[in-house]
Amino acid sequence: MSRRAVVDVTPDAVLKFNKPTEKFLCPVSANTFIEFLEFRIRDVESNRAMFEVKRPSHEIDWNARDLSGSDELRKISYTFPAEFLSYKAIGTTLVFAVCPAGIKNFRMIERHYFKNRLIKSFDFTFGFCIPGSVNTWESVYTMPPLDSDQIQEMIDSPDQTMSDSFYFVDDELIMHNKASYRYST
Amino acid sequence: MGLLTVLKKLKQKEKEIRLLILGLDNAGKTTILKRINGEDISSISPTLGFNIKTLAYNGYKLNIWDVGGQKSIRSYWRNYFEQTDGLVWVVDSADRPDRFADCKLELHGLLTEERLSGASLLIFANKQDLPGALSSEEIAELLDLKTIQTHHWQIVGCSAVTGENLLKGMDWVVTDISKRIYMLD
Ligand SMILES: Nc1nc2c(ncn2[C@@H]2O[C@H](COP(=O)(O)OP(=O)(O)O)[C@@H](O)[C@H]2O)c(=O)[nH]1
Ligand SMILES: [Mg+2]
Repeated sequence: MSRRAVVDVTPDAVLKFNKPTEKFLCPVSANTFIEFLEFRIRDVESNRAMFEVKRPSHEIDWNARDLSGSDELRKISYTFPAEFLSYKAIGTTLVFAVCPAGIKNFRMIERHYFKNRLIKSFDFTFGFCIPGSVNTWESVYTMPPLDSDQIQEMIDSPDQTMSDSFYFVDDELIMHNKASYRYST
Repeated sequence: MGLLTVLKKLKQKEKEIRLLILGLDNAGKTTILKRINGEDISSISPTLGFNIKTLAYNGYKLNIWDVGGQKSIRSYWRNYFEQTDGLVWVVDSADRPDRFADCKLELHGLLTEERLSGASLLIFANKQDLPGALSSEEIAELLDLKTIQTHHWQIVGCSAVTGENLLKGMDWVVTDISKRIYMLD
């Protein structure tokens, strides 16, 4: 089987997607460039972490990375308390290590859907990443104000809020992750 | 519809401003960024790559780039010049006297960079809370700021620890930029 994706997965193509993809659009082994170290979601007003994962160490042995990971490891299912939907601003922080060769152009595109409708799209170009560096990006965004009917609908529809995250190196897809969200009362 | 109107429309889709924070290592760049963003400033390790914040500020979407300042990675700074609307140069006002020569050299070097030629320049004379700190007038003298004619510039004495004058500086740079690039508003 070819390592390449079946469709040509360019940033432009991804920016036209209007529902979650059925499959992952690149193999896990396509990512020889970056390693996630930390991911955090916080409520900005109270500066309280809602979700946090961290690798115990920031040291990466680039010659001994396991690239055989199963698809299950590329999917995450979040459960947030329902108050989450009424927060004014949410900050998401990503910390990642870059391979010893560095990266010329790194870009992330994330598509968020509710019930197969696009509700938000992020497109961020990191550009150049220093060889062997550790980098942090926090994006603080204002939540769209939701009325109580909308909030109820989201609570009543577990896992129908979904996102696809696509990571590109020099316009080539190197990583694709999926998330689904549910809100508990 | 003239070209300017078209340009305005393009940018208006999302009014984005890109700021680049540079300065010698230990000047307080990362602390300033975290402070502005309302985060904990008690545990900050040296930046081994970049540290980016995307946030809303006075109706603009600010992308603030803080790039590590150790000598070994200063040569990578130029990879982050492209599309910079504002340069924020941070100085440790209580630094060892011999470091000011280096500080002046690096700053004046940046001002000759073509890709930074349109950028507004804010100098933060940081660490004003320290007893030995030089005043912003003294820093202006040491860095020979009065010879700068290529850029709109402003120096602001501040402290990332107390938060003093951080917003004053940010307001100046964002206003100066918005006057230039969103002139028609
Ligand atoms: N007293 C004082 N210390 C500061 C101030 N800003 C930063 N520092 C300290 O200076 C050190 C370097 O700060 P950091 O933000 O890592 O500097 P950077 O290398 O420019 O990013 C840290 O120990 C900070 O706590 C300030 O305004 N006042
Ligand atoms: Mg730093």
